[in-house]
This record gives sequence, C-alpha cells and structure tokens, in this order.
Amino acid sequence: MHLTEEEKRIFEGEEGEPRQVAMRILKRLGEVNGADRLIPIASSHLVGCSYQIAGEAGIEIYERLVKQGGRVSVPTTLDPGSIDFKRWKEFKTLEDYAKKQIIIGELLEKMGVIPLWTCTPYYLLNVPLFGQDLAWSESSAVAFVNSVIGARTNRMSAYMDLCAAILGKVPMFGLHLTENRRGEILVEIEQELSDLFSDVHFPALGYLIGQIAEDKIPVIKGLKEASFDQLKAFSATAASTGSVAFYHIVGITPEAPTLEKAFQGKEPVKQIKIGLKQIQETMESMCTYDGGKVDIVGLGCPHASIDQMGRYAHLINGKKISQSVELWICTNEIVEKMAQKMGYIDTIEKAGGKMMVGTCLNNCPISAWNFRYLVTDSGKFAYYTPTTVGTACYFTATESCIDAAVHGHIAKE
Amino acid sequence: MVTSQRSKGMKLKGRGCSSGMVEAEAIVSKKPFGFWQGIDTQTGVVIDRRHDLFGESVKGKVFVFPYGRGSTGTPGIFVEAVRNRVAPAAIINLKSEPMIIVCSLLAEEFYGVKIPIVDGLDLDHLSQIRTGNRVKINGETGEIEIL
Repeated sequence: MHLTEEEKRIFEGEEGEPRQVAMRILKRLGEVNGADRLIPIASSHLVGCSYQIAGEAGIEIYERLVKQGGRVSVPTTLDPGSIDFKRWKEFKTLEDYAKKQIIIGELLEKMGVIPLWTCTPYYLLNVPLFGQDLAWSESSAVAFVNSVIGARTNRMSAYMDLCAAILGKVPMFGLHLTENRRGEILVEIEQELSDLFSDVHFPALGYLIGQIAEDKIPVIKGLKEASFDQLKAFSATAASTGSVAFYHIVGITPEAPTLEKAFQGKEPVKQIKIGLKQIQETMESMCTYDGGKVDIVGLGCPHASIDQMGRYAHLINGKKISQSVELWICTNEIVEKMAQKMGYIDTIEKAGGKMMVGTCLNNCPISAWNFRYLVTDSGKFAYYTPTTVGTACYFTATESCIDAAVHGHIAKE
Repeated sequence: MVTSQRSKGMKLKGRGCSSGMVEAEAIVSKKPFGFWQGIDTQTGVVIDRRHDLFGESVKGKVFVFPYGRGSTGTPGIFVEAVRNRVAPAAIINLKSEPMIIVCSLLAEEFYGVKIPIVDGLDLDHLSQIRTGNRVKINGETGEIEIL
C-alpha cells in the first residue's frame, strides 16, 4: 500500500503512539484487503463504547490511548452504551457495572468524541452527505448511510472505527469503490404486496432480505415509497439477519434511479420474487411464541425519532398501561429533550411508560427483571432479544404493541 | 476431491492475514460464527444456543469456521477474551472479513499476543481439518499443516 510522506512519518511514530498504532492496524488491514492507499474520512461512529462490548480490555485500551494523548481527528459519535446514564438505578443496573460504563464514557470524551450514545447519529449531530467517505460501525447505521444517503463506509467494527477516527483516514477498499456498490441480487416485490405495504412490512422485508442476501448487495424493485423511519427499520433488520451493509431500492435510494444504474449495467447473480405469502411467513418466523402473555413491550429500535415519539404519545394518550406490563421506549438524549418540550414524554409517562435513553434492550443488562415475554415492533429486537434478554419474542405492528401494553395481553393475528 | 484418509501430514496453503505461528488442536464448525453473544469472555465457551459448537470451548485452539457473522462489536468481545487468556490460538476461515482480521491485529498491538489467521482455502481443503487434529499454522505465509 502506498503511503504519502506524511503517512510514512505517522507510521514511524513521529506523531505519537496512538496515531502510529492506528496507522499500523489500518495499513495492515488495507494490505490484506487489496487497498492501494488511504483516503480521508468525513466522520466516524464508534461501537466499542458500550461496556458490554468493550469490557475490561476496553477500559485498559482507552486508558492507554488517553495517557498517550490519543484524540479523534474527525467528528465521531458513540453508539448506545450499556446503561441509561440518568436512570440506571431505576433499570436495576448494578452499581459496579454502571461505574465501568461511566469510566469508558469519560475516557472516550477525553479523546474528543461527541457523546451522543445512539444508533441513529445520522439524524442529528453526525449527518453524512452523499458521496462522503466515512468510518462507521453499528450495522444498522452503516446500512442506512450507505443506502439511503449514499455516503460510503465499510462495515467497520469496534476499535477499527476508533483507529480510523484517530487517523482521519481509512484504507480504500470495499464500499469506498464505485464498482463494489453494484447491485448483485434482484428482489422483486409483487404488486399484491406492494399495494398494501405499510410500516410493519419494512422490518419484515429486511428480515427476509437479510437472510437471502447475506453479504451480497440486494436491489429491491416494486416499492412505491418509503419514509425515513421505514428505511431505518428496514436497514436495521437486514443488517441483523444478514451482513447487509448496502442495498438499493429502485426509485427511492440515490444510487438507484433506475434498475440499470443499480446494477451498473450488469446482470443480477440471483433473482427472487417476494409476495404477500412470503412476508406473512416471515412475520410468523419473527415470533418465537404464539402470543397471549406479555411482560415487556420494547419500542425504539433503532432509537426512536421525534416523529415516532409523537406517534407513541398519540397512541397511548389518555390510556393506562397494564399493571403487569412494562413499556420501554429507547431513544437518545436529544430526541428525549425535544419530546419533553413537545409534551410527548409527559403523556407516555402518565400512561405508565418508561423512557430508556442512551442505551437499549440489546445493550443494557436487564436479567434482574426476569422478563419472559417481549412484544416489539422492531425486527432487530425480534432477532436479538431472544439471546440478549433471553425472552420469547412477539413481533407486531406499533399499534398492536401499544394495545398489548394497555391490555396486558397480545392477541395472535 | 482430496480424501480425508490422507489428511494427516497434509499441507495446505491459504492467504496469511496476520502474523504468528501456532501449533494447537483444531475445533471445527461448518457454520458462520459471531463472537458477540457467541462466546463467554471469561471461559472461551460458546454460548450461542443456535450454534453447533454450543457448550464447547475454543480457548487455545485453532478455530476453524467458514466466515464471521453478526455484530460489529466482535473485536471488542474478542480482545476481552484475549485479555482473559481464553481466546482461540489461531483462526482459519474460507473468508476472513476485516472485522475478524482486526481481532488479531488488536490482540498483538494491545496484549502482545499473536493469533495467526489464514483464509482463502477452498471448501474441500478446509474440510480436511477435523476437530481434534493437531494443526500447525503460519499466519504470515498462509501455510497450514495437519500433523
């Protein structure tokens, strides 16, 4: 891999150890992946900020980097942590555990990160532009910014993302190259499904396409429209069941104005059709139990937007959630503040719902609650919570989730 | 197709992804593996109930699986396992994604532990390695020997 004179100096350690370490790791990674040079990045987003992921090793590594004067050189945001920084006691997080997460946060802040603690930094404070190269982790955000915005990032991962943030560069391979952004699999949505496509179908479609595409780039044809939040839900789910880092939706995502452009004039390697039957089967497969009981309703995965907060407040306004059920809504601090101003949080809390801020059910240890039955409108929660929380999971539309919280019961559809 | 009877003494060559030389016992899975929610970082035991190695330990072994999957938190979990001395001693994949290669680069950089990774073998050759085989692996040259 070719290094510029400045990069060579960094490699030799002339700009300190953190930049040298970052250079050594990214150079080696670039060489193994056939990159011929490093390119500058506009921003980074880190996942190694949660104690659940970073552990004791994370504390040791960040302490070492801070001591050596390590600092990020591009705008860098943080994924959800493992605690709600304000309410960890309320969520029954052990004090020792909370302290570890707080230490990690302090260390990262010393390196100059923006402590946003969210999986959706792209709607506030870290908003990429079309064509920008980035170093982002968080699988759902990677899929979103590549596909919906047209920025360019590989699926970075814990520490690799920090190395790139410290250096301000990444090796040029994978999705940074136009030819690697070519669609590979054609997914046609049949008319009968397309005609009635709504919110609940986006995570379901993501769940199915993730399994079909694995790490290939799918091109979806036949969707008439999609909102920001719907694309967010689709991205998160496709990136959970598969390693989807990039997809095209013809007529909707910016690199797919036409089918031909999405495939860059080449033929798909595989073609599939998805109709009503396949989507219904997928939605059934996303449930690990038949409905009935519910202990917890989990919303806000990925973190709820202000629109979604308004929707939840509207649906629950004037109602009371069942004594036997918890309703938790996950979001970040900025959306929380705005939702407070707009009266949404008051409405939700009056009904008995709780806000879970800066973390989520997949990151925060909640075994002390002994939940057994979780109801959610999130495809990513549906995929992961049977492992992370250890509950059975029922996936359904947002309205049904709120109904389940109110009635203490989820009716099988 | 190479027959399994001849696998002892067999030499294979893939792509060397990270330096280090190791000789250890192999543990083999045909299923993709994700380290987040995949291993216990205190013991090295596989905790993913959906995985065929559930309950087995990868500690100190040459861990053979087709490719990585799952969370981009993977290197965080892996390095914690390295710190606790329960990480695999080496990794062999059909294809190692950047996320897996970085695990080894970080182990060397921050804990001085070399965990060789070799990928790029075809499936026929990869299937010659069986759980329990002693395997010698060179992460620089990509050479693997079944002893």
